[in-house]
Amino acid sequence: MSRHPAVVPAPGARDARSPTVVWAFAVTRTPPSEDTLVMTTAHEEGGPLRVLRAGSLCLVVQDVPAALFDETALRERLETPDDLERCARAHHRGVEAASRAGTVVPLPMATLYRGDLNAARAVASREAALASLLDRLADRTEWAVKVHAAETNAPLESATDTGTGTGTGTGGRAYLSRASARRRARLDARGKALAEAEAVDAELRRHAVAATRHRPQSEQLTGRRAPQLLNAAYLVDDAERAAFAAALDRIGADGRHPAVEVSASGPWIPYSFARLDEESEHTEREDAP
Amino acid sequence: MTDVDRGCTDLGPQPYAPVTGNLADLLERILDKGIVIAGDIKIDLLDIELLTIRLRLFIASVDTARKAGIDWWETDPALSSRAARDALAEENARLRARLDALEDAAEETVEAVR
Repeated sequence: MSRHPAVVPAPGARDARSPTVVWAFAVTRTPPSEDTLVMTTAHEEGGPLRVLRAGSLCLVVQDVPAALFDETALRERLETPDDLERCARAHHRGVEAASRAGTVVPLPMATLYRGDLNAARAVASREAALASLLDRLADRTEWAVKVHAAETNAPLESATDTGTGTGTGTGGRAYLSRASARRRARLDARGKALAEAEAVDAELRRHAVAATRHRPQSEQLTGRRAPQLLNAAYLVDDAERAAFAAALDRIGADGRHPAVEVSASGPWIPYSFARLDEESEHTEREDAP
Repeated sequence: MTDVDRGCTDLGPQPYAPVTGNLADLLERILDKGIVIAGDIKIDLLDIELLTIRLRLFIASVDTARKAGIDWWETDPALSSRAARDALAEENARLRARLDALEDAAEETVEAVR
């Protein structure tokens, strides 16, 4: 029976060639075409994209070298910025390819299996949950919206005017008075910006099926001086997409929210909503009009 | 001010944002907590924020960051790779044992199929 290594490699034979592990990208009911599979390079170090059947579902995977992708090697590599970015982009390419023919449940980066059998079993064992998630994500996309405080020096300038009225003095007490007035003004400005961020969120939720928040990114990460107040994701029905985009335009256009700056990107594959534990972590609005 | 980076201009057949989008946004979406199905190989990554900040610093040159006094990731033991590795060592051992068991089960199934 070991005369047919092409069919099922004997357990020992795996080590003789260069061993691989299976990187999983996404679950779908509608596998991408052969063309898409062939044309997509996900991880440059790996083989072509493949589709595994798992019950009524399909899993899009790629064989990748174990030497680079086993637990130890991959963790080391993901701690280096270059490899982290390459892996993230490769994963996204694979998920995007998987989504070409229909709805996907994207899997988190670095979902790896020792072989096809384990991968297919893992999907099959969650088939019902995955199927209902696919239903939920069908014909919907994710939009990322960030709200920053407006970059302005206004709070500092106005502080000298709106202080206690002793702002021009030169003594220590006058200094402290100016300092505390500045601090109050900053807090006021932040409170106003936060309230506007909440208003923006409320407006966008009206056009979304669900909303969730990521942790606001630090200034170190955004490279902006103004703090990020809201880092939100909205799950938007395709039928509501135009209305959602129009709401974004309105928010920016009419100067109703002068204390904040809003930026948006999308449509995204609904990564932020491909979760089974939503009740505990996310605010849901299934009852949105 | 609203700045919309649209992946496409309308409801065309290519619905998704280009792969070249903001990396921090991508990472916070794909390095995730809400595990839908568990893999055989579990990679415990450091905090997403830390990873992405590190990435940004790398791009901006770590030396520049150090000159600006940004070096907290080197001095905070909770965030150093070594600390992370120590904390994970025990779990790694457990997971390896589980992998072995899974592999054995898989091979048995292959045998049974023949």
